[in-house]
Amino acid sequence: MILTKCLPLIWLSLVTLCAGRTLYQLPGKGVKDDTKQPIQTSRPFNIAHRGSNGEIPEETKAAYLRAIEEGTDFIETDILSSKDGVLICFHDVILDLTTDVASRKEFAGRNRTYDVQGFKITGFFTFDFTLKELKTLRTKQRYAFRDQQYNGKYPIITFEEFLAIARDAPRVVGIYPEIKNPVLMNQHVKWPGGKRFEDKVVETLKKHGYGGAYLSKQWLNKPLFIQSFAPSSLVYISNLTDSPKVLLIDDVTMPTQDTNQTYAEITSDTYFTYIKEYVVGIGPWKDTIVPVTNNYMLTPTDLVKRAHAHNLQVHPYTYRNENQFLHFNFSQDPYMEYEYWIKEIGVDGLFTDFTGSLHNYQEWASPLPDTSSKSTRQLLSHIASLVRPYAKA
Amino acid sequence: MGGVKYCLPLLLLSLLIAECASRPLYTLPSLAKSGTKKPLQTSRPFNVAHRGANGEFPEETAPSYMRAIEEGADFIESDILSTKDGVLICHHDVNLDDTTDVADHKEFADRKRTYEVQGMNMTGFFTVDFTLEELKTLGAKQRYPFRDQQYNGKFQIITLDEYIAIALDATRVAGIYPEIKNPVFINQQVKWADGKKFEDKIVATLKKYGYKGSYMSKDWLKQPIFIQSFAATSLVYISNMTDSPKVFLIDDVTILTEDTNKTYAEITSDKYLDYIKPYVVGIGPWKDTIVPVDNNRLTTPTDLVARAHSRNLQVHPYTYRNENQFLHSGFHQDAYLEYDYWINKIGVDGLFTDFTGSLHNFQELTSPLPKLQ
Repeated sequence: MILTKCLPLIWLSLVTLCAGRTLYQLPGKGVKDDTKQPIQTSRPFNIAHRGSNGEIPEETKAAYLRAIEEGTDFIETDILSSKDGVLICFHDVILDLTTDVASRKEFAGRNRTYDVQGFKITGFFTFDFTLKELKTLRTKQRYAFRDQQYNGKYPIITFEEFLAIARDAPRVVGIYPEIKNPVLMNQHVKWPGGKRFEDKVVETLKKHGYGGAYLSKQWLNKPLFIQSFAPSSLVYISNLTDSPKVLLIDDVTMPTQDTNQTYAEITSDTYFTYIKEYVVGIGPWKDTIVPVTNNYMLTPTDLVKRAHAHNLQVHPYTYRNENQFLHFNFSQDPYMEYEYWIKEIGVDGLFTDFTGSLHNYQEWASPLPDTSSKSTRQLLSHIASLVRPYAKA
Repeated sequence: MGGVKYCLPLLLLSLLIAECASRPLYTLPSLAKSGTKKPLQTSRPFNVAHRGANGEFPEETAPSYMRAIEEGADFIESDILSTKDGVLICHHDVNLDDTTDVADHKEFADRKRTYEVQGMNMTGFFTVDFTLEELKTLGAKQRYPFRDQQYNGKFQIITLDEYIAIALDATRVAGIYPEIKNPVFINQQVKWADGKKFEDKIVATLKKYGYKGSYMSKDWLKQPIFIQSFAATSLVYISNMTDSPKVFLIDDVTILTEDTNKTYAEITSDKYLDYIKPYVVGIGPWKDTIVPVDNNRLTTPTDLVARAHSRNLQVHPYTYRNENQFLHSGFHQDAYLEYDYWINKIGVDGLFTDFTGSLHNFQELTSPLPKLQ
């Protein structure tokens, strides 16, 4: 009796089971990583320096989304801290140049002067503002000669929001966070349990599944380079994570903020022998690799050769399209600069403000090996080039 | 008799040696039969080196043109003006102030003048007040302070003849693109013998060096040329004298033509294009009139290119420059994106560029020429 009553229900359930739509997961969320287009590892890395900040205010969500859209391999960011110890994505220790803080009357009294790496800097410092307060600010384009139309639109994002952008991308996108001004951060911000700035950064990365040595399976799923100008920070975290690390190297006149070592010292063979136990590469300022005089490049130094001899990658910064940043050797042409650094100097990655341009250059000059969809396109392109000379009457 | 006995073997020996051992006489490269030179490409838009490679060298100097040819230009472009003694020179401005060191030459201090040029009063040192000999003592300089200044004062102004020689001496076929510049002003200030006009002298020089033949004819392909001018009457005037292809230049929307006082609207109308079409193979507009710009952002393109193309008129806009101050926002400070837009979206047939190498690079990367079998 009960069975006959239940029969329609059972019948309906069977129908649903057989004919109902399968539940597909939303594209960005929780797609198994091995179904996403993987990161390319056959040509130098395109690293979106602060996102696509040539077009959109640096280190905003929009700048990172644009960089991913334009084909970047890694989105790069600088980690600093708010007053209440929240890790944020922000380059300068002061808010003045890239936010509208100066126009905010409620923060008028927060101006301070601090010693930063031996220089007195005055401004509104990130660690004097809680996250809630920082979130009321709006970012602006740092350079007057770049697009100003997004000024006042986008907020500062947290490190975790940055990680979510990478996670939600429709293809595998690496991250390249910098442990920025760790000496200053640790001076001004205290975390519970005696944790340091570096601990919090690594903790956050691990929480979101980042780990694994360079080119390991885990790493290829979630590519990551941790960068810093402070070698002691990189050494400190070497026990905490096996993720690959990169030592940034400043201009020839700047000593390291934590160990007070000179450029000459930290680029010596002895130092490379020491540091290569902790890092997979170095990130020098490009004008120290090839010195410049009168806006013309001189003979390259042997820095790249020696780094490569120690199996250290070289990821120089920063490549920019604007002619004031281009040396005359390149005829105001950023593509010629990319060609020089990739083909002649042989770097392994490039920090660029113009992700799209670098991607374009690489796609045209060194397209990736065929995937099936690409080979169709290439075949069509080849046919077009055969037909073209006969097309014009 | 004895003399001949000695001479004959010597003579024979000399002949033998001359025949077998002497060096073969190779003709100098530039004098080689033009049929052996790499020909002009005609399968993708023309790379026109605007004033030579003036992104790198002072404009319209010999190195500027040679560099452009080296970088792959299809055409080297020039502006023809005249000296006081009627010699045709390559120079863009009617005055010498912005592109030469004339201001440093004390001997010319009293040559400053004020003239009316295209309705505006202009003060400076004018080419028409200097003989060729005097002009040759000046040093050319880079017009823009943000470009390479290292060649300032090193190179001279060159003549039309010298410019043509650069093209003809190139090791591949390099076209020329001379402009009949400010003909109204020049004809006012300079008088030639036999009542000849400025336009007559230019055409005479071109013919002297063998420039002839309509667009894409065998003669033209050997020595490619476009004759350009903002003055339609000049182009019409020379149409009987030479069948070389001509291009009608079009200035900004607010500027009137120097010879006929016509507005932009008038000379880009269907009626006018129909009128000018028998005389020219194309038009050369300022690119920001084809796609108007608002707040440094491109707006909707006009239909100028479509209307020109429907009349079989080519479109060669000017001028493409790499520096970000010249690049509109949508191009993200990337000149290659600008080339991409104009070549692939707007579909122009040639581009006047200050950066020959960059345009060549872009074209080689994205539309390489078919390889010769």
